Amino acid sequence: MANPFSRVGEVFGRVPRWVYVAAALVFAIVFPMLESYGLMQTLWLRLGTRTLVYVLLAVGLNLVLGETGLLHLGYVAFFAVGAYSTAILSSPRFDLQWNFWLIMVIAMLLAMLFGFIVGIPSLRLRGDYLAIVTLAFGEIVRMTLNNWEWLTNGPGGIPGIYPPVIFGWVVDQPAEFFYLLLVVVVIVVALVSNIKNSRIGRAWNALREDEIASHHSGVRPTQAKMLAVVMSSGIAGLAGAIFAYYQQFINPTYFLFMQSVIVVCMVVLGGMGSIPGAVLGAVALDATPEIIRQTFTTWLPRAVGSDFLPAVQAALQTDFDRYRMLIFGLVIVLMVIFRPEGLLPNQLWRREVHEEDPREIEHTRQHLFDFEEGRQDLEV
Amino acid sequence: MWSERARKFLALGLTVALVATLGLSGCARDETEEPDDTGATETIKIGVHTSLTGGLADYGFAAAEALKIAAEDLSGFEVDGVTYDIELVIKDDKGEPAEAPIVAQQLVDEGVVAVIGTLTSGAANAALPIYQAAGIPMISGSATAPDLTEQGFENFFRTCLRDDIQGAALGEWALELGAEKVVVMDDRGDYAVALANEVEEAVDAGGGEVLRQEGQEGEVDFSAQVSNISAFGPDVVIFTGYHREAGLLFKQLTEAGVEAQFMGGDGIKSDLIGEGAGGAENVEGALCTFGGFAQEGMPGFEEFAAKFRDATGEEVGPYAENNYDALGAVVAAMESAGSTDSADIISALFEVEFDGVMGTLAFDEKGDVSVPGGGSGTELVPRFEYTGGTWVYMP
Repeated sequence: MANPFSRVGEVFGRVPRWVYVAAALVFAIVFPMLESYGLMQTLWLRLGTRTLVYVLLAVGLNLVLGETGLLHLGYVAFFAVGAYSTAILSSPRFDLQWNFWLIMVIAMLLAMLFGFIVGIPSLRLRGDYLAIVTLAFGEIVRMTLNNWEWLTNGPGGIPGIYPPVIFGWVVDQPAEFFYLLLVVVVIVVALVSNIKNSRIGRAWNALREDEIASHHSGVRPTQAKMLAVVMSSGIAGLAGAIFAYYQQFINPTYFLFMQSVIVVCMVVLGGMGSIPGAVLGAVALDATPEIIRQTFTTWLPRAVGSDFLPAVQAALQTDFDRYRMLIFGLVIVLMVIFRPEGLLPNQLWRREVHEEDPREIEHTRQHLFDFEEGRQDLEV
Repeated sequence: MWSERARKFLALGLTVALVATLGLSGCARDETEEPDDTGATETIKIGVHTSLTGGLADYGFAAAEALKIAAEDLSGFEVDGVTYDIELVIKDDKGEPAEAPIVAQQLVDEGVVAVIGTLTSGAANAALPIYQAAGIPMISGSATAPDLTEQGFENFFRTCLRDDIQGAALGEWALELGAEKVVVMDDRGDYAVALANEVEEAVDAGGGEVLRQEGQEGEVDFSAQVSNISAFGPDVVIFTGYHREAGLLFKQLTEAGVEAQFMGGDGIKSDLIGEGAGGAENVEGALCTFGGFAQEGMPGFEEFAAKFRDATGEEVGPYAENNYDALGAVVAAMESAGSTDSADIISALFEVEFDGVMGTLAFDEKGDVSVPGGGSGTELVPRFEYTGGTWVYMP
């Protein structure tokens, strides 16, 4: 109790979780209004919208990487499948303008189908075969998009994607896209949280902890893993379909291997198996670099004078991006050493990575006691 | 140590604080300066949307430096009795289409009246919807993809020649050299593929036989393609990618005993091609076309080149003069419209005829550059030969 921060932490700890969720939601709802009242530049709305796309991806990948404990390195391929569904079915490329809902369903089903196909050979086996297969699949999809010129126009990409029309409402302003994505994120998070606490969710967690033991307890490993992969592919397809509408132009360079890695970083940073963690990881890794850059290149010079640390300004303008991946890598290494459970960890996962810590053993013992006494529900 | 709950919620609290800062700091808006009273000089903001980092950084550097020179030269123009100075707002999209909308939004937020850029066609496709919605004209000195001016964007103009014109010129040139069997090879990049498709079409139309090959950007070993090419026995090998791969490819072809004329598009027009080929002698006599105009014979080029050397200590980079004239077009449009309003600039750009570094230029109804009285076809495409370690203009 010598640590002064523990007092602060206790105060924060007494606030129930729904308060934080509500605060985040209120902030997200108010955020675009700042722009419409002229309090914030449209740039931040655009960045916020991009962050929401990453939130969707991180929440989706969390199902496979966090909940089920399978390494997935080609997640962006399913995102690409969704994006190209929109681009092909709603653009001048083939002169099509299909209904928004229909495209959403097609994008999700197509991505899920590809997820299923990738899962068939890799999920029957134990170990990291999924990582190898998805890594290859990511490249296959990108090369296909690059070379199948009849369908995708190759490296030139597909420009001029029409805006979506939802019940007669044409979505083409950044604020409208922000709200559209926010609604999708809320729905997906609600669904995923429920699944996480259902029988299927428990089965995924059990597989992650010990595949053999869970198999003997009645979990069917292949089916459960397949379900996780297919569902997360569907979420990626959905995210991709909306992303293409938002960008109005896509080409294969949007779907590089690095994008998959960034989403993996988001999930690991936030905390594997934790939905708030995935959201936080996405916000942290997508928004922070831009905030740092703007602070040093725009706001500080404006406040202090334009000759403020010119060397730092120049470095951030030209070199920052070169080092971004290096910094991401360092952050992940530091996380794995000092806080392997992530920023906003899932209880179960935290206990697993700290299973030799006496405090955690004590916590588990206390919890099981409470559970047996009927004072508390089983903690997940 | 902190209790785990404490840690968790401290982290949450920090996030909220971070997110709140994000919103608040966004509030720091531009304080727009009140215009001075009559007679004084006003500043007008022109955006520069280019790529200062990433694979095409040297093109972006040339563009940015040329525009700085142009801004200095052209400042002090008069519109409706008010003298204006140009302030450039330079932003970097890293050559990635994914970054282009963000950069475009930043420039729109800054309140620029016109934008010079983008560097690449992919970025142009991604950024154009935003400039279109904001009603801001965008003039590119180097985005050459034909579809850019075919989509009906009313705010897009360019001071460079389209790929289909350059591709046709390259194909016609190969046929002029008496080629019957032509290899056309790209690097699967958007630029190279578009150009290669046009070359293939032109050679086909002229009765030549084409073997299409492809490499990858960044590839170093072309042995698979080399064996295909030597089995085909071509008279001409045309590579539409960039100089690094071109140098290696031409060297490996020579080593494999292929005796063909090597040609390329403007991607190979860098003197560094000799370095990639392990010595300038390996690519001696290679030919290339260029999507800009010939610098030789440009009325203002010598003066511009001298200024460029003074400012940067380097020779004029690719498409630098195209960017210079893009800014010239904007200034001429403002002068002729008598207004600094973006919508007026757009309509004036379709009308205006102006004298730039490259000569007298205008835009056609699609926004492509044309030379009044000089046409807008393959006859405008300049030709170069690689001699003694440098590209030499062939009149």
